[in-house]
Amino acid sequence: MPFLKALNVESKTKQGIHKSKGGLIRSFVTVEKGNIKDIEISGDFFLFPEEALFKILEQLKGTQANREEIQKSIERIYEKERIQSPGTLPSDFTESIMKALEA
Amino acid sequence: METWRFIDFGPVDIRNMMAMDEAILKGDGGNTFFFWTPKKSIILGFFQKAELELNLTNCKDYTITRRISGGGIAFSDDRGRQINYGVVETIGNELLPLDIIESYKQICGVIIDALIHYGLNAGFRPINDVVINTPYLNTGIRSKKISGNAQTRWEGKLLQNGTLLLDFDIKEMLRILNTPKEKFLDKKIASIEEGLTWLDRELGEKLDMEDIKDVMKRKFEERFHIKLKTGKLNAKEINITNSLLPKYYSHEWVFR
Repeated sequence: MPFLKALNVESKTKQGIHKSKGGLIRSFVTVEKGNIKDIEISGDFFLFPEEALFKILEQLKGTQANREEIQKSIERIYEKERIQSPGTLPSDFTESIMKALEA
Repeated sequence: METWRFIDFGPVDIRNMMAMDEAILKGDGGNTFFFWTPKKSIILGFFQKAELELNLTNCKDYTITRRISGGGIAFSDDRGRQINYGVVETIGNELLPLDIIESYKQICGVIIDALIHYGLNAGFRPINDVVINTPYLNTGIRSKKISGNAQTRWEGKLLQNGTLLLDFDIKEMLRILNTPKEKFLDKKIASIEEGLTWLDRELGEKLDMEDIKDVMKRKFEERFHIKLKTGKLNAKEINITNSLLPKYYSHEWVFR
């Protein structure tokens, strides 16, 4: 029941793994009241400038935990920080996060 | 002909090496090609987490640090038969394009040229691998990785690090990695041997590492139409190195 789900304040970190052409992307996501509360991403992908990943993570905190909003948040930072990530697209990060959410 | 700097750091603690690596990128020493020989060590890619990637109890006698570029673990066993190189160069010119994969291809070309010199069918596999291609059955080609490379960029320059495997201890790599325990270790090793190779195995003999480095140096000069001149870190680079050392030795950086 969605009502009960919304009241459930206990949040658990879930893991998602997705392999892009550029490498493995592991996501650890905690959701609270339908929003991403905490998120970490690790893996052997490439992304320049490297520090921009932390900006993506900051942007994602508080984002609604659905594919569209997650993708939008990531794309926004890609544009703002002029991120280049050979073999890895914003949608690969989204996919990894979605796998965590669906875990 | 233009002269670029060459440095061979020899056997080195990778924490010191990674500090010097970053200092060459962020210093003012100009275009540089350098070698080093890592002692028993593990270098994590920028985005990796040590506790996820490694079996930490099995890594107790390894020096572990992290580099500023992405990608996967660089593992060095105690056989010491690995040639590790670094390149710092300005990008956005006809020899080194801005495009990331094209710039990988250009620098990996040095390794490929050296391997071709030894009669091997070496090639570039995007994004950042050098492979040895061998005929496989009647149908096609099997590519085995012989060199892994990682690149980052800073203010119009790139830093590329990579390794050319001369020998490799797969069993030891499996021991230190956090891979699920396999019932059939031999089978696991055999499957890695199908995708990974090293020069001693390909040639069936152990060449002198210094000779291979000389060939790579020559191929580097040919590829970039320059002359390499042996030099050392300048005062500014040494200062930057010293300021970076605490980071590469810190628990926060390695186990973040």
